[in-house]
Amino acid sequence: MGLLVGETVHQNMTRWHSVNILLGEKSKYALLLVLLISVLGSMLWTAPVQAEDELNCVLCHKFRGLSRIDESGNFRLFYINENLFMKGPHKRVNCMDCHRDIEKIPHDPAKKVNCTAECHLVEPSGKKKFSHKPVEKILEKSVHGRFDEDGKPKEYQEDYPTCKSCHEQPLYRPLSFFKGVSSGVSRRGLGRCKTCHQTGDFAEDFYNHVTSRLQKTRESKEIVEVCAKCHEDPAFQKRHGLDNVVASYKDTYHYKAIRFGSDRTADCVDCHIVYGESVHSVESMDSPTSATYKANIAQTCRNAECHHEAGEGIASYRVHVDYNNKEKNPMEYYMLKFFTGLMAVVLYFFIVVIFLELLRRLFPNFSFSSAERAEHRQSKSVTKGGE
Amino acid sequence: MQVYPKINYRGGKRYFFRFSLVQRMQHIVLFTCVITLSLTGFPLRYHDQPWAEPLYNFMGGITVAPWIHRGAGSILLGLFFFHTGYWLYLFFKHRVGRLIRDDELTVGNFFKEFFSMEMIPRAQDGRDIVAMFKYLLYFTNKPPQYNRICWKEKFDYFAPYWGIPILGPAGAALWWRDEFTQIFPGWLLNAFYIMHTDEALLAALFIFFVHWYNVHYAPEKFPLGTVFLTGYLSEADMIHEHYAEYTETMKAEGLEHEIKLQGHH
Repeated sequence: MGLLVGETVHQNMTRWHSVNILLGEKSKYALLLVLLISVLGSMLWTAPVQAEDELNCVLCHKFRGLSRIDESGNFRLFYINENLFMKGPHKRVNCMDCHRDIEKIPHDPAKKVNCTAECHLVEPSGKKKFSHKPVEKILEKSVHGRFDEDGKPKEYQEDYPTCKSCHEQPLYRPLSFFKGVSSGVSRRGLGRCKTCHQTGDFAEDFYNHVTSRLQKTRESKEIVEVCAKCHEDPAFQKRHGLDNVVASYKDTYHYKAIRFGSDRTADCVDCHIVYGESVHSVESMDSPTSATYKANIAQTCRNAECHHEAGEGIASYRVHVDYNNKEKNPMEYYMLKFFTGLMAVVLYFFIVVIFLELLRRLFPNFSFSSAERAEHRQSKSVTKGGE
Repeated sequence: MQVYPKINYRGGKRYFFRFSLVQRMQHIVLFTCVITLSLTGFPLRYHDQPWAEPLYNFMGGITVAPWIHRGAGSILLGLFFFHTGYWLYLFFKHRVGRLIRDDELTVGNFFKEFFSMEMIPRAQDGRDIVAMFKYLLYFTNKPPQYNRICWKEKFDYFAPYWGIPILGPAGAALWWRDEFTQIFPGWLLNAFYIMHTDEALLAALFIFFVHWYNVHYAPEKFPLGTVFLTGYLSEADMIHEHYAEYTETMKAEGLEHEIKLQGHH
């Protein structure tokens, strides 16, 4: 959540080096001076801070230039845009609930946050402390879990996603803010809650919590990009024996409509998650409980928001078609060859005819037949004589 | 039905009849639909090209353009059925009717009449193509002498007449995909998707390059031939494109002595 709470923005150290080389020693100090002035300057017009920030972390982290190059050469930005943070899902969480290794201020470099830690919020339905642990459990069981059924680590551990592989800047965003869609707060509806729930902001937060989950929290285009981050990488596909499912998906009407701004056609998670289940529960198509298991496909397509009138036949529709793969998609391969061939024959034939027609106009009276040439010469002299 | 004179005179020039009003109107509906379908279809096929999104948005975007596409497709399919009824009507009225009047209606005569219709390809078209290549490759100075409907025009005609029955039902199946899969297997939709988009590309490339060359870009036609509006073709174009029909018509109208020579222009 980079810009929000000061995560890392990775930049290659070499780029920093090249800045040094370009600028030279003196200019480097000049640059630092400019930075310092801009930091000090921004202090003057930064709005007063008011978050759930009892230790006033934003006192320092509100400055846009707050950054450094870490030991491994990455450029790290620690700036927190408080406006964005207060619209995000973690607005009621204290900084130290997640950044637990901070003991004194100013603090030492903080460790990476553990998303499954219990935080200090109490989950109202069960009166237990809140944690993202259930998500981790679902993820572990899914095809994206890093252990197989016997609990043994799978090959290529580093390829398996953690929370932040998907929920990371620039992909992790407090959605309603960027979408320009708020979670549908109806003041009138909220008024009914507030009649009884008068304490603090409980009613408003709870209302937001529920209504923001009534809609897709990310645009479909963004979801495709999240999955594509790994699944579009040829080396990744090769390591795991996967097809280029992103490319084949992008050939479908589903994607094309999404590409042009529709939110009514299916993205990756619409088909790869059993309807009504958590998006973290993607399973392999070989698993009998998977949404894409052969016997379940028709039901997946028929889910209430999509092809609810479809018959069983829809199960044999192939979404991920590789038109260049003779073995996997022979019908599509040969049909494409047929139409391409037909097109080539028709168009090349007419291109040749048109080209020859234009060429013929250049020398209208030339002919390989010597008799015709002689006839033409004669007719020319006759016309001349006639004049 | 209106009777069109074979030769019309305008400003002292001869014009030769080619297309009746009903035929010209069918052509207008045809090209309006085809252009609309192309503009609302190809941005989807080439969605990753820079022009695709602006063009698609201009055509109404993802909420409107698909409905324009389906509407134009429905009209085009309707035109296909209308045209089929139209030529069947003419065929039975003029040809079969004459056979009945003359009491000559046999199976053999019926098919003879069927295959002697202007649009049906025949051996003469093969000879015309050979004559054309002989002319184009400078083996002779004599241009091919085409009759009323030449092989190119037959090609122009059968391109949409085979294209629409391929594109239309495939498009309808993709439109009514839910209902379709209640009866048929879904992999047929994969086949229809290819049929629809690739046949469309062939049709569009053929129309916008070859057909438009013949009627728009060709030096003597540029910027456009007017026969699709007036129904009449000028004498020079007749001589150039339909010399066999030209001499025949001139003779039938008693103008043998005014027949001009072909090829020296």
